[in-house]
Amino acid sequence: MNIVSVLFVGVGGDGIITASNIVAQACMLAGYDVKKSEIHGMSQRGGSVSASVRFGDKVYSPTDKLGSVKYMLATEKIEMLRWVRYLNRGSVVVVNDRIVPIIGQTIDEDRIDNMVEQVQTKTLVKRKFLVDSEKLGNPRLSNTIMLGVLSNFLEIDEKYFHDAIDLILPEKLRTINQSAFSYGKNLIYDNTSGE
Amino acid sequence: MGLKIIKKILSGNQAISIGAYKGNARFASGYPGTPSSEILEHFKNYPNVIAQWAPNEKAGLEAALGASIAGVRSFATMKHVGLNVAADPLMTASYTGVNAGFVVVSADDPGMHSSQNEQDNRRYAKFAKVPLIEPSDPYEAMAFMQYAFVVSEKFDTPVILRSTTRISHSLGVVQFDPRTLDNEKELSLAKDFKKYVMIPANAIERHRVVIDRLAKLKEFSNQTPINKLEKGKTDFGIVTSSMAYNYVKELIPDANIFKVGFSYPMPGDKIREFAKDLNRVIVVEELEPFMEEELKIAGIEVEGKKYFPENGEFNLDIVEEGLKKAGVIRERATTVYFDGFELPKRPPALCPGCPHRPIFDILHSRKDVFITGDIGCYTLGCLPPLSAMHTTVCMGASISMGVGASKVQKEDKVVAIIGDSTFFHTGIQPLIDARINGANLTVIILDNRITAMTGGQPDPGSGFTLKGEEVNPIRIYELAKAIGIERVFEIDQYDYKATKELINREIDTDALSVIIPTRPCVLAPKRIKDRPLVVIPDKCVGCKRCLRIACPAIDFKNNKAIIDEFLCTGCEVCKNVCPVEGAIVHKEEK
Ligand SMILES: Cc1ncc(C[n+]2csc(CCOP(=O)(O)OP(=O)(O)O)c2C)c(N)n1
Repeated sequence: MNIVSVLFVGVGGDGIITASNIVAQACMLAGYDVKKSEIHGMSQRGGSVSASVRFGDKVYSPTDKLGSVKYMLATEKIEMLRWVRYLNRGSVVVVNDRIVPIIGQTIDEDRIDNMVEQVQTKTLVKRKFLVDSEKLGNPRLSNTIMLGVLSNFLEIDEKYFHDAIDLILPEKLRTINQSAFSYGKNLIYDNTSGE
Repeated sequence: MGLKIIKKILSGNQAISIGAYKGNARFASGYPGTPSSEILEHFKNYPNVIAQWAPNEKAGLEAALGASIAGVRSFATMKHVGLNVAADPLMTASYTGVNAGFVVVSADDPGMHSSQNEQDNRRYAKFAKVPLIEPSDPYEAMAFMQYAFVVSEKFDTPVILRSTTRISHSLGVVQFDPRTLDNEKELSLAKDFKKYVMIPANAIERHRVVIDRLAKLKEFSNQTPINKLEKGKTDFGIVTSSMAYNYVKELIPDANIFKVGFSYPMPGDKIREFAKDLNRVIVVEELEPFMEEELKIAGIEVEGKKYFPENGEFNLDIVEEGLKKAGVIRERATTVYFDGFELPKRPPALCPGCPHRPIFDILHSRKDVFITGDIGCYTLGCLPPLSAMHTTVCMGASISMGVGASKVQKEDKVVAIIGDSTFFHTGIQPLIDARINGANLTVIILDNRITAMTGGQPDPGSGFTLKGEEVNPIRIYELAKAIGIERVFEIDQYDYKATKELINREIDTDALSVIIPTRPCVLAPKRIKDRPLVVIPDKCVGCKRCLRIACPAIDFKNNKAIIDEFLCTGCEVCKNVCPVEGAIVHKEEK
């Protein structure tokens, strides 16, 4: 099997390390070799951050190649756009429809939305996951809901995600994240590339 | 009897700590530094081990050497620049050799994700004439760390284990049995005058031993299984190590590869043998042409850096480009489907509520000062709009560079700014320098009582240790007083006005003074969040003064400032700088 990449992008403190750990764990439980890369340090203070999970029969590089990322989970629109060179026409993108302000910059959201529209991948799910998250009673569930959405496309059995959530998250967060994952899994999309 | 095998996803740093424990290391010391910090943070959890943060890398390496001579396997951890600080003991520990196994872990940072330079510490192995071991993934990080203790005892030498950011902070599947290895021989404290007392007479002898040892290590490098041939089908060969190996493997799966895991001294004979039947041999290595030079010195014809950059971190695309330049792959497989967009950069920023913020806002308004800075979260005070730092070189350099700058000119007042962990690391001697040489300098020691930059490790002022044990903290105020400095002041910098007055007064006073702002970090050891503030839109005049403090919680929309109440910690710095009374208030008062 060829190597499959899942790229997580966002802003420091966004929780992409946890989200990517869950996916990496699920891949291992499903019997794949997996490598993951993440960057700590300075960028965690609100800078751009990324993490990649790559799985397959045998994986060497923990980081991705331009144009070769099949799945992307973006917690914010500007960061999604920053990494478009890694995507291809067949990619599946799940992006949280929000913008995290940048100090000293005035951002024109319409312009950003316009750019997102130019990214014509096979599937692009853009949605205000924060609204879903609040509906579930906790504003910090967006990433897990997005993982649930993404899991519909990944060739990893659902049960491994549930096991991974139990293994990675502290006990008091498990139940609520399990439901957030299922909630995301059950959101049905007919939206293909916004065409 | 069945063996218990554990299978886990581990980071390189977790794997190094497991390897150390399995290698029977029972003492470890180090100083935090990305990407090395998590090694000790994991290691401390093992039973019956001593793991501690030292005030700097030199102290850490020496503590570990002392433990080794006392008969316990030990190691020291640090980031690449930390080894500069610890270079003094390393160079002579090479002469003394070890008693129990002794390993120095250097985590380099190609690409400078979180560093001030990207020096290649493989050079230190050659400089100190000690062996160098380089894993390429978490599994090897564990196995090679364990092995490093064996090599150390077998050859009576410190061993450098070199990781990089991409190895330390990558995760991979690792299978291992949790048993630990025994020492080569029963050991106890060694008193050996000729070996451990490096007066010239003894050191002259020991230098000869080091040279003989290096010859033996060279032979060993040709035998060790971690230098290995991976037979392929190509008519060319590739010599590679560390992370670069993974990129080559993925790009040319059927290449003839010589994978180097023991990279100093290089396995010259084995590689000469490898090269014999090949048209050409290309060395693929990140940063310096270290292996390439060694092989050329050994008279082996290789190519390398003429195709690959000597700066920056490698990745699949860069290595592919280099291999194409070298002519060993015809086409780059990559297609870029989407052009990148022009986007605003997102640099890191001081957290909302960060106690460093008011200090830089105050300094920003003094145009007549030269500010020598240092390394830590507070280095972010150099970025616009705070823009209040004129130098940053290495840890501890703020005060000492301030001494020089204040001595040679009088036009600009000099302010040195340094964090508490950095002060304990290498700031104390410069403060003594300032006092004894009579520098006219205002020293600001940002005492947030934690090493925030690297993830919140305790320092000597924190009041607790790596293992979480309580300890009586060292107070910087008393230390400065003990040095004999008269003008030493502690201040709560959330009292913006009083802080501003104090800083301005001391800058304008011709004397050495030390100001210690005392607010703790808002992230560690515990998160601090007070009642958030809100902007009253009708009162906001849209002057943007609050934007100048660079707070991530403040945004500006429709000509008004707005505060994100999730992010706001209620520190009131924005309220203090706002020119309109009552435009920013605590939420409940609305
Ligand atoms: C020689 C060396 N060791 C370690 C580091 C990594 N490092 C950078 S800043 C820093 C300490 C920061 O702590 P502090 O001075 O208390 O400032 P804070 O981040 O808390 O504001 C460390 C450990 C380094 N850059 N150089």
